[in-house]
Amino acid sequence: MEVRLSKLVMIILLIFLSFSVAYSSTTMHTNNWAVLVCTSRFWFNYRHMANTLSLYRTVKRLGIPDERIILMLADDMACNARNKYPAQVFNNENHRLNLYGDNVEVDYRGYEVTVENFLRVLTGRHETAVPRSKRLLSDEGSHILLYMTGHGGDEFLKFQDSEELQSHDLADAVKQMKEKRRFKELLIMVDTCQASTLFSQLHSPGVLAIGSSMKGENSYSHHLDSDVGVSVVDRFTFYTLAFFERLNMYDNASLSSLFKSYNPNLLMSTAYYRMDLYQRHLEEVPVTNFFGSVMKTIHTDSAYRSLSNKKIGTAKTRISLEQSISDSDTIILRNSDAEDQYNNLTAEKYLRDSVGQIWSAILGSTFESIDTFVCYGLILMLPLLIFSTWLSK
Amino acid sequence: MALPPRATFPLSLHLLLLLLSLLLATSTQQEQFSEELLLKPLPDRKILAHFHFQNEAPLHADSFARHHHLFPKSISQLVQKFHIKAMELSFTQGRWNYERWGGFDPISSHNAKPPGVELWAVFDVPLHQVDASWKNLTHSLSGLFCTSINFLESSTTYSAPEWAFQSALGSLRYGTLPREAVCTENLTPWLKLLPCRDKAGLSSLMDRPSIYRSFYHSQRLHLSMSSAASDGSRSGIILEQTLTVVLQPNDQNADMNHVSKAKIQPSWSLSSIFGRKISGRCVLAKLSNVYLHADRGLVAQLENLHENSAQFATNDTGPVDFRMNSGFKLSVTPERVHKELGKGSSLLYEYPINDYKDTEQFDLGLSWEHPIVWSSPHAPFYASRFLMGSGNERGAIAISLKSTEMTQGLLTNNIEERCKLQVNVLQVVPWYVKVYYHTLQLLVDERPQVLTDFVERIRVSPSEDKVSPGMMELVLQFPCEMKSAVLSIEFDKGFLHIDEYPPDANQGFDIPSAIISFPDFNAGLQFYDQSESKSPLLSKLQEKSPVLSYTEVLLVPLTTPDFSMPYNVITITCTVFALYFGSLLNVLRRRVGEEERLLKNKDASKAVFLRRVLTKLSAKLRGRPLESTPSPSSSSSSFVSPKLILRVLLVAGIAIAWQYYSQ
Amino acid sequence: MTKKKKVPLFWTWVLGSVVLRLILLYFPKNLNLSSRPEVSTPLTSLRRLAEGYWLKQSSISPYAGSMYHGSPLLLTLLGPLTVTRIEGQPDHLLCSLVFVIADVVSAMLICAVGEKLQVAYSSSLQLLGLRDLSENSELLPSGDFAALVYLWNPFTIVACVGLSTSAIENLMVVLSLYGACSRLAPLAAFGWVMATHLSLYPAILIIPVILLLGYGPDAPPRKLFRQRNSLEAGNSTVSDVYSEEKAKNQLKVANVFSWRPVVSFLFWTLLWSSYILVLCSMYVQQYGGLQELFKRTYGFILTIQDLSPNIGVLWYFFAEVFDFFRNFFLIVFHGNVLLMLAPLALRLNHRPCFLAFVYIVISSMLKSYPSVGDSALYLGLLGLFAYELKDMQFSFFLLSGYVGVSLLSPVMHNLWIWRGTGNANFYFATAIAYACFQIILVVESVSAMLNHDRTLTKLCTAMVQNVKS
Repeated sequence: MEVRLSKLVMIILLIFLSFSVAYSSTTMHTNNWAVLVCTSRFWFNYRHMANTLSLYRTVKRLGIPDERIILMLADDMACNARNKYPAQVFNNENHRLNLYGDNVEVDYRGYEVTVENFLRVLTGRHETAVPRSKRLLSDEGSHILLYMTGHGGDEFLKFQDSEELQSHDLADAVKQMKEKRRFKELLIMVDTCQASTLFSQLHSPGVLAIGSSMKGENSYSHHLDSDVGVSVVDRFTFYTLAFFERLNMYDNASLSSLFKSYNPNLLMSTAYYRMDLYQRHLEEVPVTNFFGSVMKTIHTDSAYRSLSNKKIGTAKTRISLEQSISDSDTIILRNSDAEDQYNNLTAEKYLRDSVGQIWSAILGSTFESIDTFVCYGLILMLPLLIFSTWLSK
Repeated sequence: MALPPRATFPLSLHLLLLLLSLLLATSTQQEQFSEELLLKPLPDRKILAHFHFQNEAPLHADSFARHHHLFPKSISQLVQKFHIKAMELSFTQGRWNYERWGGFDPISSHNAKPPGVELWAVFDVPLHQVDASWKNLTHSLSGLFCTSINFLESSTTYSAPEWAFQSALGSLRYGTLPREAVCTENLTPWLKLLPCRDKAGLSSLMDRPSIYRSFYHSQRLHLSMSSAASDGSRSGIILEQTLTVVLQPNDQNADMNHVSKAKIQPSWSLSSIFGRKISGRCVLAKLSNVYLHADRGLVAQLENLHENSAQFATNDTGPVDFRMNSGFKLSVTPERVHKELGKGSSLLYEYPINDYKDTEQFDLGLSWEHPIVWSSPHAPFYASRFLMGSGNERGAIAISLKSTEMTQGLLTNNIEERCKLQVNVLQVVPWYVKVYYHTLQLLVDERPQVLTDFVERIRVSPSEDKVSPGMMELVLQFPCEMKSAVLSIEFDKGFLHIDEYPPDANQGFDIPSAIISFPDFNAGLQFYDQSESKSPLLSKLQEKSPVLSYTEVLLVPLTTPDFSMPYNVITITCTVFALYFGSLLNVLRRRVGEEERLLKNKDASKAVFLRRVLTKLSAKLRGRPLESTPSPSSSSSSFVSPKLILRVLLVAGIAIAWQYYSQ
Repeated sequence: MTKKKKVPLFWTWVLGSVVLRLILLYFPKNLNLSSRPEVSTPLTSLRRLAEGYWLKQSSISPYAGSMYHGSPLLLTLLGPLTVTRIEGQPDHLLCSLVFVIADVVSAMLICAVGEKLQVAYSSSLQLLGLRDLSENSELLPSGDFAALVYLWNPFTIVACVGLSTSAIENLMVVLSLYGACSRLAPLAAFGWVMATHLSLYPAILIIPVILLLGYGPDAPPRKLFRQRNSLEAGNSTVSDVYSEEKAKNQLKVANVFSWRPVVSFLFWTLLWSSYILVLCSMYVQQYGGLQELFKRTYGFILTIQDLSPNIGVLWYFFAEVFDFFRNFFLIVFHGNVLLMLAPLALRLNHRPCFLAFVYIVISSMLKSYPSVGDSALYLGLLGLFAYELKDMQFSFFLLSGYVGVSLLSPVMHNLWIWRGTGNANFYFATAIAYACFQIILVVESVSAMLNHDRTLTKLCTAMVQNVKS
């Protein structure tokens, strides 16, 4: 009896453990994505572009390939007519580093950087024609770095001087992403004035956010480059870069060391970060989890065995299958629409043609052109009117 | 005993190799890649560098999922998916200076493009699917080339010219984005289409800052189908990628010239303009050449110089060998010199890059010995376009054509018969520039003319608000002796909804370039020797095509509404409507009795309120009936009645209680 | 029959206005009046008509370029006139002459309407026994006065010289009013059908036209007649049975709605509208037929697609409103015009001509693309009721308001469009002020007319009391 009971207890415990393991282990971290957004237009916002490009260079250097970076630049600074150094963007007045390089790929540029496109990228709800390089094709094992810079304020971020992204919009988008399992962990980094208000409404788990200043504080630029003529980098990004320039792909500096490296006296603002939605301890998380792309390799004895890999594989194929189905659906739909239109067109044309033939047959016998007929008709109205008036008197 | 196997083994190996090569040849039959660079000194101390990469692939019936050896897969997939017959996409910054850099040679006809992005495509699908294919094509290209070409998907940006542009090609769609920026991110994917990327061969010359510092740079991608002679069906795709750059070399020996009052042109070399040298060819390229083109004007000036100077009288190897001439000196001897047919011909020096490698790099340099002034051949007319009028309400667009020395030359040739020049004009105007086509006016030699005298054909597709732009195609016939012509058309500026303005609305809106073409003339150069390996660049230079020139892009400032005002405007307008509605209904509602009552009460309330109350009170106290003013009904509308006071107190009490309990 | 009084030198004044117009026509480029947004709107601009005509001549649909949005009949009539040029004369001279003639004919018709109204009114006042009032009402020949106001109104002159087709629209409206006042059903039907065809808004005039045909011209409220009738019945003097019978009959007639003219009006409406539709369909048959025609003309008016500034308020509103609410507000604004028809008709059904005037003011104020040509019409018609509205409040304020707005509006437009020192709000402010003045005009005129009715009622009841006691 006791043995049976203990066996039952063990079975129950095992089941419970397996469930908890299933729940807590969720999925493995498989890839890293970066979404880098610069929302400012005009030459005097050069530093925002330089901020974004500095992060772009860092992220590429630490291993994330171009296919997994979505770079959104609202204006063109490198080949701007006011740039004394064409095809070159600097973030330091020593001009040591050309951020633009030879191999930059910008996914959204110019007028395309709008709140709508930004939210579409995050949530993955694009029109069918949008190409793959413009989509955030992350899955449930992705770690996403979202970096935004520009002009901002209390609970908003200004896009291109004409519209705003509000903090609750961002929070809703992140919630949608979490529901659709588009990320495993998300790091939001914002470098604007009053940056930390932008993520104040977030409530999805697995999100870590850091902003360059708190509510009521401004974020300042670092220095002015008298050669280029404008400020070339913001303080927060400058010190972030100073931290990363010491690293390479294999370093395991942790996020907490990054977050603690910000000195409020140097930044002239308080870099506030929010980790209440993030389960792990920041000391255990290497920065390359977000800023680089270092895969954790698991050695197995035989290939194609690992369980979680298979799950991910099926998830991926499921997603792509749905997409392809919807693609073919729309293709079929479009074809039938086009056919219908074509049929309608021909039917209408036929009707019109036949009526037109009748009309022209009637008219062709009497007058040579419709215009003169209408003209005569108009002129005829006057005597008709006079006659009818005289009649009814 | 070992000998016979050894003898047979190489034989079988040879046979095997032959078989393999045959197999390889058939499977990757005619997939060819060639790279060429053309350098040309320009009359105004600048240098034109023109890179030409051509990639050809056969097109098999089952080649949807075929592997390609050299041809970029993304392009072949694009062609297959959208059934493209021909396509051209160009990214340009800067304006091609037709006066200084010429307008008659094939480079300026094919590679002088309007600023921004220009895309045209011809599809092989039924007519009702062309727009959908165009839309999908623009999206795919925007992802492929890191641009915002997807803005061309909306029907307000593209048009369908019929004969003024590329004639007889079927369902053509044409669109431009004049304000698109062109930078490294457009060059990066473009270079990735080449087999050697930018790591080897001529494309390794492309130093980004040098290219983007230039006066004019234009990268172009041209897709066309080559047809087999037998049945005319498409047998292969030809992908032609060109990059045309106009650079200014650094003027190092500026102060070394004291010779003549005309300053000598600056010397340059590949390393001085690009900062790099060519360290070998791309091994996948069938052909890798560098050319130096001295055009007709320069050659004529050199011949004059040659005649004038007596130095080289003995060393008369003929006009072909111009390496040692008194005009300029080349640092590398050309392998071949092509001479153009006819008199007044240009010269093309050819340098194959086969033997150069890392240790021995190719660096072509040209140093001028003598100041030479020449001019490049021009198109029959200088075409330019400008806006007339001021203010934000209306204006006029004027296209002006001025005759050049070429038209003078025509005149001297044909004296006996009436010489006529045909000019095709294509102009696309966005819908918010509302053009009045009935105001189309032609001034020839500054005298107004009747339009039908000069216009042979006209096709107008008027714009529709928010749906399509307005397109005008004209074929004009001008007499050769004409000096100038101005074609003007008036327009009204439209007013847009606040959502339709771009974020920098005060900059203005662009009217894309007009295309002026001269179909009577052929912008090709015919060269003497047809070498055995067909150089694609040479074939392109010799191709018969009409002379084309693009006018300027016009910037039209449109008046803007106040963007900060939507709520205010809605509120104010609705207030006005409410005012109208309310007061009119009120006036209608009033009844006769009420009017009189109001009048009487006005009289009544002449007495002060307090006094009235006091008199009422005193009357009550005294028990005497108050001599009240006659009020017609009991529900008298005196201003303050006890009932009203009671009601107000009741409502206030409820409100206070509610507030207290809801907290 | 009382002698018809005419304003002294009436015909001289008329001639003078024609001469003034002709002089102004010879100024270069019509003084640039044709490009003023207050004068030419997308519906009334002659330049757009010329563009439509050119497109038609080039075998393209005249509506293809989103330029012309008017009637094809107008295109047939005025189109050829825009291209014929006479040597040495300004362009568009023939079109301007057409507009001048239209103005003069409208003025004459207004004069005739005024005479009819005056005669009918004074006779009805006499029937009620208010003889001195009726004599007072004939002191001022309101028809002539209104005609002169119409001809010499700066708005009318500007609309005529500025080549706006609103002159023809006004002519049609006045024609229908004249036909209705003189109980000529074909004429009234023709005018109404043409006016509706040219610009959609005169369709609401069907109510006053039917009332005019049924009840006759403006008269005091009908209950006064009933009172008088009962008084006459009760007060039967033996003296003249015949005259008493006649008086009774007349009173009865004044109260009865005669259906015959209305039925014949409807019949003629159907006839004329089918005639016009047949002509139009022939004209546009190759270019999409009647459906396309309605979409481009009436659809354009109702959906307010063109956002060019004009003297109304709707252009700026629809330039700024959020897309989500656009349809809602379209329905609300057009509904505002429709919702007022019933209350006004109920209250003013005894004065159909005045009702027509109020309807014209409302439609001029709230239409999609108003211009000063529309204001010219109602300001002219205002003169017809000079006697009844002589006690109108704020009349001087209104006059100075109109003058002020018509001076400021071009200034603000210039500041915004030509100099760039002002912005759209300046011009919009004058448009709002203009709308407010029009509102005050309509409200005060209705109020004054109702007050006049009340004084009549008072006088009648006082007379009844007097007779009774």
